Amino acid sequence: MAPAPTLMQNPPGQTSSGCSPTGCPMVRKLLPYLYIVPLMAFIAVFTYIPIVTSINLSFREWDFLSPTMPFVGLENYKLLLSSTEFWNSLRVTALFAAFSVPLRLGLALLIASWLTSDRFETRLLRGAFFLPSVTSTVSIAVVFSWVFATDYGVANELLKRIGVDKIPWLQDPRIALWVLILVNTWKQIGYDIVIYIAGLQAIPDELYDAASVDGGGRFHVFRRITLPLVMPTTYFLLVISVIEAFQVFTIVSVMTHGGPASATDMLVNMLYRVGFVLFDIGTGSALAVLLFIILIALALIKSRVIGRKVHYEA
Amino acid sequence: MTRNFLKLAGASLIALVGATSISMAATTITFWHSFDPEKPNGKALAEIIGNFEAANPGIDIQSEFIGNYNDIVAKLQAAIPAHREPDAVIMEVTRYGLFADRGVLTDLSDYVEKDPLKNDLFDFAREVGMFKGKNYIVPFNSSTPVLYYNKDIFARAGFAEEPALKTYDDILKVSKQITEKLGVEGITGIAAPGQFARWGLVMDNDSDLIDSKTGDILLDSANTIEAYQWMASLVHEHKVASADGVTDEDMGRDAFLQGKVGIMLNSTGTYVRSKKAIGENLAVRPMPCNKVCSVPIGGAGIGILSTAEQDVKDAAYKFISFAANPESNAIWFAGTGYMPINKHTADQQKAKDALAKQPGIDVAISQLDFARGRPRPPVVTWMRASEYDLWQAMALGQRDVKEVLTEFAAKTRAEAERLAK
Repeated sequence: MAPAPTLMQNPPGQTSSGCSPTGCPMVRKLLPYLYIVPLMAFIAVFTYIPIVTSINLSFREWDFLSPTMPFVGLENYKLLLSSTEFWNSLRVTALFAAFSVPLRLGLALLIASWLTSDRFETRLLRGAFFLPSVTSTVSIAVVFSWVFATDYGVANELLKRIGVDKIPWLQDPRIALWVLILVNTWKQIGYDIVIYIAGLQAIPDELYDAASVDGGGRFHVFRRITLPLVMPTTYFLLVISVIEAFQVFTIVSVMTHGGPASATDMLVNMLYRVGFVLFDIGTGSALAVLLFIILIALALIKSRVIGRKVHYEA
Repeated sequence: MTRNFLKLAGASLIALVGATSISMAATTITFWHSFDPEKPNGKALAEIIGNFEAANPGIDIQSEFIGNYNDIVAKLQAAIPAHREPDAVIMEVTRYGLFADRGVLTDLSDYVEKDPLKNDLFDFAREVGMFKGKNYIVPFNSSTPVLYYNKDIFARAGFAEEPALKTYDDILKVSKQITEKLGVEGITGIAAPGQFARWGLVMDNDSDLIDSKTGDILLDSANTIEAYQWMASLVHEHKVASADGVTDEDMGRDAFLQGKVGIMLNSTGTYVRSKKAIGENLAVRPMPCNKVCSVPIGGAGIGILSTAEQDVKDAAYKFISFAANPESNAIWFAGTGYMPINKHTADQQKAKDALAKQPGIDVAISQLDFARGRPRPPVVTWMRASEYDLWQAMALGQRDVKEVLTEFAAKTRAEAERLAK
């Protein structure tokens, strides 16, 4: 007796439900989407819905507590764009990014070049440099608050021993931002080093050998071979670090609270203060939307100006 | 095998049903507070909660340390729209008005009216819980600022006897002498006053930040400006207070606890910590009376969120009432230094022992004759949050005090109008 036909054996092609031997067309079409549904749902809940909500709130007046949130049009944006606080925060954030990003990337490339070999001590040093990246930012900020305290800090105590007067690290508006740049660099540089090491190790040795045969000096080799070939890594780190610089919050919140005299009042710190301390969620959301636009604009500029110069093959 | 499996399944089922019935029987209250469990205040609170749960086996208090008063306000406002708010919360006495005004807190007037506790609470303790004629919080930790000093530092700075510490001039003079004599050792005269002490120093100068009767903003009144000018001068002009305590108020307190500062103006709730840190060298005196003797009543009370279920509200009020009874209040007073709020607390042995063995713990009580509750309209939350940055600018000498306070007063008036809409 012949075996009972199964769906797979159902020639020439279709079952009563319209499915082919390789499956139902409808299911085949939907399957890829079904696979990404869990991830899309996660991203929607934690990214897209908050973005849309934030945009909605930026046109409203709300204090988190009132049952109503009246629509106020562009009032929150007008308030922000006409306030000196916003422009100060933008200036301070831009300064922070302008100095901290090149410092981070420059130092990281230098250190990574030094740590590329696979010896025991370089592996140990890589771990040491990476350690701050995986340490709590709050802990780091608290420790550095004490290090840079004017009267009770370690930094001034050391300076005192070599005859240098106290420096008001966190109280002088001309210095405080530099201290934050320093601490942020110390915290983040380990990650940049690791990425750079991976980028440097991907450069074929033959290129260095050829350059060596041609009599290229170390600086020449670095400029002509290392720098161009590590450009994709630099571009990636540039995108990431600029975003991070514009979103820096924890070290500011713990070490200076945006002071002294608003000298370190960066955009996210202002956003937190406006929204969560002064109860003005509408203006806080408008600031978040402006920050979003600024970051998109910066990403586009970077893509146009630098992205075209990046080559992904040796 | 099958029999064993069935036995195991049966036992699990019984355990599950048992556990479920226990958890169903208990009313759980989530309670947010501001007392670090590692510090004396947190330990005293844990003891009170433990006693309450022992006396009320059907009620479980899930207490959570959130941070300081500012952190509680920030976290609460974010939790409310997310429906993640607690059932009960500690709220600072000047900052709960906004939450009461917006209907976030339950009106406890009926509970308090029916509770014999109402006759046992001191008048000041009843008053701090009232907003627009209704009772929204019951005080738990009440305080006034007091003047702490380090006897050893005073002696080493050349004070054979206790100097006068009554007026701004007195305090400046003493602070200068300490800084001049002991500055080389890294010791400063006074800790930069924190916000609670700043408010107290303004009141000592016969003024206020907001008039407690009329609600008028007094930030730009002559006496308030004068008080701030004096406070700021301690840091940037006379350099008798470290700027570190301006950018981080806790640093000023911590430096005092480490024996690096001669005088500290701070809440009486810091008493036990200070005593532990400095021991016999700690002296406590009343706040100065520059133009008048007047101190603010601070601290916090416990409120119940209006979103809590009725049975949870009932249980939460039971806890609130328990925490304010003489036994609990004595534990709190002796363990922290916060003032008694119950008239019968002093009769408790723990309180008697504390008064006998902890000199200075009674200073805040003796200040009650001239202590005043502070206004708590919705704008106070905004005003207090904004004041920190401005104080920094004034104390570090970056902005003129009069100009800052005039501008701040105008902004506060505008914000008060906006909030009143």
